[in-house]
Amino acid sequence: MTGKLTIAGRAALQRRSLTAIVAVALGLVAVAALAAGTQVFDPKTRKWVDYDRTRARKYYAAHNEVPEAFRPQMVKFRTAEVPGTIIIDGNQHFLYLVQPGQRAMRYGIGVGREGFGWAGIVRVGRMAEWPTWTPPAEMIARDPNAVKHAGGMPGGPDNPLGARALYLYERDQDTIYRIHGTPEPWTIGLDVSSGCIRMRNDDITDLASRVKVGAKVIVLMQGAALYKGV
Amino acid sequence: MSAKPAVRISIRAIAIGFLAGGLSACVSAPPPPPQDQMSRTQVETAPADLQLLCADAVAKASGADSTKILPVSSSKIDSKTYQVELDASGKKTSCLVDTDGNVKSVQPT
Repeated sequence: MTGKLTIAGRAALQRRSLTAIVAVALGLVAVAALAAGTQVFDPKTRKWVDYDRTRARKYYAAHNEVPEAFRPQMVKFRTAEVPGTIIIDGNQHFLYLVQPGQRAMRYGIGVGREGFGWAGIVRVGRMAEWPTWTPPAEMIARDPNAVKHAGGMPGGPDNPLGARALYLYERDQDTIYRIHGTPEPWTIGLDVSSGCIRMRNDDITDLASRVKVGAKVIVLMQGAALYKGV
Repeated sequence: MSAKPAVRISIRAIAIGFLAGGLSACVSAPPPPPQDQMSRTQVETAPADLQLLCADAVAKASGADSTKILPVSSSKIDSKTYQVELDASGKKTSCLVDTDGNVKSVQPT
């Protein structure tokens, strides 16, 4: 589940001439061939292994935890951005929260699946605890399970937005993208959403406690050398 | 049976043992990566901080508003260098940055 993002929503976003937003369709075959292909290091076998939906589910079922790479950790981060800035690297499935001293808090994230990648410079417009999720009309049309939530699904442990949501704005416009929690923590590290950035509930709660409304959010382009223009 | 063939066999066995040991050392698993590098992607893009260092360098070089400059693609040129393509309100710029965070060049494309 992915919050309020839809294909039509993305088109509307572009129509609004949000100059900092770059929405890119990644559905071409050539693009698919260049998909990032995430691997994680298995400390038991000491080998790099492909990390896909199947392996992610198995790993979480076995460990009740995501791989170490996607757990929060403080890392070196050379940047001129001010502390409190959020950087999203969808390729690597990391969200960085810039800290003083050329460091950043790094969290694992799940990002947009093929065709739902985007990039831009936005800001945190508002935040909510255990937010209500309202599926967009397009999702209701294609997913019968979403019909029962057409009027809005109250916040709670099964809500697709999880424990917190950071609503991303461009100037005063809601971009319809969110950074939010998830009831499916095993999806961290995968390309699964419709463009929203998902985090484990503990992580989004921690992030929300550290950032302020108005914080700058830089979303880097997903995919290497795939940019085809605004 | 003389003792000499037995000695030769023993020497051969020891030599083979050393050889096998040496080979196994050659093919043993590499050391694990640092804790912050336990994942990777097959398509290697520039680390996020290096992309942003390029954006900052472009802003300083062009005088453009840094909030309008966005890295839009990146790739590894060699073991120590990344190329980052940036968009500044439609104006395209290419940046070379090394793994130590030194911006080597900024050029319009």
